[in-house]
Amino acid sequence: MIENLWSLTGVLCVAGLTFLLGFVGSRRANTTPDFLVARRAIPTSRNAAAISGEYLSAASFLGVAGLVLKDGADALWFPIGFTAGYLALMLFVAAPLRRSGAYTLPDFAEARLGSTTLRHFCTFFVVCIGVLYLVPQLQSAGLTLTTITGLPGWIGGVVVIVVVVVNVLGGGMRAITLVQAFQYWGKLFAIAAPTFVLFAVFLSNPSNGSRPLTDEGAPRFTETARVVLQEPVVLDVHEPTRLEATGTVEGSPVDGPVYWAPGRTYRVGTGTELVFAPGTPVPVVDGSPSTNAEWLRAENDGLSGMFETYSLIFATFLGTMGLPHVLVRFYTNPDGRAARRTAMHVIYLLGLFYVFPLILGVLSREYLPRLLVHGRTDAAVLLLPGEMLPNVFGQILGAIVAAGAFAAFLSTSSGLVVSVAGVVSTDLLPGKVRDFRWATLFTGAVAIGLALLLPRSDASLTVAVSFALAASTFCPLLVLGIWWRKLTWVGAVWGLCVGGGLVLSALVVNVVSSFTGDWAPDVLLQPALITVPIAFATMIAVSRATARRLPEDVNTILLRLHAPDPLGFIQDRDVQRFGTAEERASQGRRRSR
Amino acid sequence: MSTTESSSAGSDPTAPDPDAQKWIELQQSPDFVELRARLRKFVFPATGLFLAWYVLYVLLADYAHEFMATKVVGNINVGLILGLLQFVSTFALTTLYVRYANKRLDPAAEKIRTEVEGSAP
Repeated sequence: MIENLWSLTGVLCVAGLTFLLGFVGSRRANTTPDFLVARRAIPTSRNAAAISGEYLSAASFLGVAGLVLKDGADALWFPIGFTAGYLALMLFVAAPLRRSGAYTLPDFAEARLGSTTLRHFCTFFVVCIGVLYLVPQLQSAGLTLTTITGLPGWIGGVVVIVVVVVNVLGGGMRAITLVQAFQYWGKLFAIAAPTFVLFAVFLSNPSNGSRPLTDEGAPRFTETARVVLQEPVVLDVHEPTRLEATGTVEGSPVDGPVYWAPGRTYRVGTGTELVFAPGTPVPVVDGSPSTNAEWLRAENDGLSGMFETYSLIFATFLGTMGLPHVLVRFYTNPDGRAARRTAMHVIYLLGLFYVFPLILGVLSREYLPRLLVHGRTDAAVLLLPGEMLPNVFGQILGAIVAAGAFAAFLSTSSGLVVSVAGVVSTDLLPGKVRDFRWATLFTGAVAIGLALLLPRSDASLTVAVSFALAASTFCPLLVLGIWWRKLTWVGAVWGLCVGGGLVLSALVVNVVSSFTGDWAPDVLLQPALITVPIAFATMIAVSRATARRLPEDVNTILLRLHAPDPLGFIQDRDVQRFGTAEERASQGRRRSR
Repeated sequence: MSTTESSSAGSDPTAPDPDAQKWIELQQSPDFVELRARLRKFVFPATGLFLAWYVLYVLLADYAHEFMATKVVGNINVGLILGLLQFVSTFALTTLYVRYANKRLDPAAEKIRTEVEGSAP
């Protein structure tokens, strides 16, 4: 179909452009010292755009709209949490962390507590968080490519990881702040332009033959919808529904018209085709609000719903500070004060971006109810332009969105692969350039392996698990490390292991349960509300018990973290190693003469 | 920009250099204590307030359905408005903090700096 051709061209353009920029970037020799030199000259606003560009991933670009379509008001928490995380980062860690001169989380841990054992544990969790964050990116790439071309799901993920790994190996995408900043504005355009156009279409033709969202009942199909299920689902039926089904329902084969009774759930097998006539109420995937009234209202399921929501808030609010690819970028700030300002700009930029997926999510509820049937709501943003504007214009908008989505996967994945590989190569291998390359291959291989192995879930939900892991490991380490002088390395190791271990176990139980009939309680989906306090408590308790292990220079270190920037207590390891920007610049001039 | 100062303090921080003594004195100086107190006075209450505001919303959404479903304008109910206010409040707190830092923290830091540099040989 010509529609696919447009979108495919968009995706190929983005991939090609990424390659090209990586190639140009690598020719300009982006080594660590160059990166460091660059940072003195980068204006705060551009740095903030670069952070946002790298941060806005599949979860933001596709996931938020998808969850709004499915869960309605409750999904508002995702964009709020993704943004508010930077508030916590700014209040607690931005400036002191920048002053510590640490380049990565393991660096910080070692500088603050002087333990290589702790450093290795930190490295392990950086890898876990990074890989967990990569998985939904790759899976969403698969979903995107399947949606626009019908190719099998694994191809998209493989394409993204290959582009990223080859690029990182070539040295591109590493330090190019300008490219990442451009990424932000590109993504903003890719989601804002379709939103404006589609919203105008909606305003000019608000009814579209459907019942408005103000209607309290179940959403309804506006035209004949044919849904083929690619995985088994359990559907929640709220109103009497007549449809045609071919395949398996409730374990027995069906072929022809069926009647589904209200208030029941139906188990529908893989490969089943469901055909709904216009005006039929939409059955939704079990667990999502089944009526528009519930959809518009936040919270419906009492204590467990409340736990889930607050747990998510906790994870995103406290987890952002522990994400490896975010932290590296903060290092490009010249001092603590600039780090503070950058965080503020990031919050504004992210807030601006998230307006658009929210609107697209609401529009999809009106125009794409069929996504509610198979639950693959992450595709909403991709399909909406073609659905609302079935002409060349819609196809072009669709291509813009698809290209933006791919840009999101590529930039976030690059940032993650670079930071994970950097940590692995410096900590576990001797840290030469060749080791960095092996580490890159290793990270890419593990990520794509897991992406193919693990069952696909909504991108935002999967990403939220890595936020939970970051919040249960690095948040206590950073907050206590910066604000509590009695932290010891033993306490830190115990806290990391207990907090991180709990989140990882919850994840494993969830995966096992999803293969064996979904028996795991909802609490395990987002355990941060329990695991974060436990991690904090463990760190404090063990540190008190091992008080004699306090580092001797704790006062000096804490002073350095909290001393005002103008005093010049910044101790950059890399500045020591490579010299300051000015020194290097003058050396460079001398060499060129 | 602090490159000149950072290169002067660029030696190993654990080594017992004359600087270290100066730092410890500085840390105990009333100005520095005041600076840290100001920072703490903002950061911790602000975080507490913010998390409490989130809890309030979640609690209201769960146990005050009637109130949250009260329609204000057309189809917009109290719940949605409060939800959007969460966004607004995030921006507000961010701006407040940056202002506070610029007004109350940076001048204090500047003062300490001039004192240190004034007393430097």
